[in-house]
Amino acid sequence: MGIKGNPFLHPAGTIASAAILIAALAACAELPRDPDGTTERIRRTHEIVLGDIAGAPRSPEAERVLDRVAARLGARVTRTEGHGEELLNRLEKGKVDLVYGHFAEASPWAGKVHFGGPLGRRTDVGKEEHVPRFAFRNGENGWIALVEGEAR
Amino acid sequence: MNRLPASIREDFARARRLEWQTLFWMSTVVAAMFFTMGGSQAMRSALIEDVLSLVPAVTFLIAARFEPQDPTEKYPFGFVRVNSLAFLVAAVALTAVGGFLMYESAMTLIMAEHPTVAPVEVFGHTVWLGWLMIAALGWSVAVPMWLGRIKLPVAERLRDKVLHTDALMQKADWQTGLAGIVGILGIYFGYWWADSAAALFIAFSILRDGLSNMGIAAAELLDGAPRELDSSDISAEAQRLQARLEELWPQGEVRLRESGRYIVGTIEGVHPPADLPKLDELMGDDPAWRLARLSFSPPEALRREDVG
Repeated sequence: MGIKGNPFLHPAGTIASAAILIAALAACAELPRDPDGTTERIRRTHEIVLGDIAGAPRSPEAERVLDRVAARLGARVTRTEGHGEELLNRLEKGKVDLVYGHFAEASPWAGKVHFGGPLGRRTDVGKEEHVPRFAFRNGENGWIALVEGEAR
Repeated sequence: MNRLPASIREDFARARRLEWQTLFWMSTVVAAMFFTMGGSQAMRSALIEDVLSLVPAVTFLIAARFEPQDPTEKYPFGFVRVNSLAFLVAAVALTAVGGFLMYESAMTLIMAEHPTVAPVEVFGHTVWLGWLMIAALGWSVAVPMWLGRIKLPVAERLRDKVLHTDALMQKADWQTGLAGIVGILGIYFGYWWADSAAALFIAFSILRDGLSNMGIAAAELLDGAPRELDSSDISAEAQRLQARLEELWPQGEVRLRESGRYIVGTIEGVHPPADLPKLDELMGDDPAWRLARLSFSPPEALRREDVG
């Protein structure tokens, strides 16, 4: 077979090197990237600020996910308690990294913040049903992917 | 009864088949886009553009049912201009939707809303939704690229504005798909504004389509001179016909207008000659079917000079 001439001008070689380059970029830059850099900041400050909605029963599944995320980023979880609306407002402004509470998929807040999937074994959850979930700031796609990835 | 010229019947039937295929294949695109849309503004605009691109196909199929029908008592000139009417309606709708989408994406950009694209679960695997969006957008590039290519030559042979616009909109569709992919990749690399910027670009292309189609439709409804399919210039065929008629009847005033896909001519101030030439001969080397009617209006015809 043998590749004649400059291997980088060979079309298959070009495609292969482009794929390797993209894969390398993806590997070191943590993609998708957060436009407001939540993941990078947590790595730097070693602190995840969790908004804990007052009165929401803790779920063991949520604790497990938090532990795993904290271990992965080398961070610890700082909890701040508050009322639902107050915490979601602070989440929207980027003052907390994620909020744990019982939310329905059809919540009026859906759209202003991003609600993750239901935590726990049950997956057939009705749209109006309040179940344990994390809420995220809109657009922090890498952070969402990281936490939701650990929740699956 | 089929009142179409025999020489274009085959292409006309082919155009109808192509438009049915368009409806089918574009529906698969719309479905793929709908299920992967998520929170992306660019996907939303691209989806709406894909839905709108069904309009010319539907318009063509409706007009194609009417056009070959016989004139009736209420419509003594037949239905050759049905597609002009439908075309105007479609153009107005396109313009309105384009304007609305531009406003919406500009607001998303100004309010600095960050699009969320989260991972989803597909057959037990967690996949970033953005990859599914890009796959759907890739399909929305491939299908119209292929359909537009095969429709364009048929539209040119049939001198069909709706079909031609349809083929052009298909071109806009695949450009839209590419813009959408750039927007999603922008989100992937952390540029939140890439998505609404792509949406704005798509909305602008819808608006531009709408405005140019309104211009084309207006030209025919105002009895304008026959136009080229792809511009507002007077068609070369019509100019050649005009020159030929002026040579034959230099003392008359030659006026040509467009009626559907046909040309209708009047020669004012001339008595009908005793030895009328054949319509086919008047078109020279151009397709003879295009000239549908030529009438002579003698100098003593009743006519108001101040109206036209």
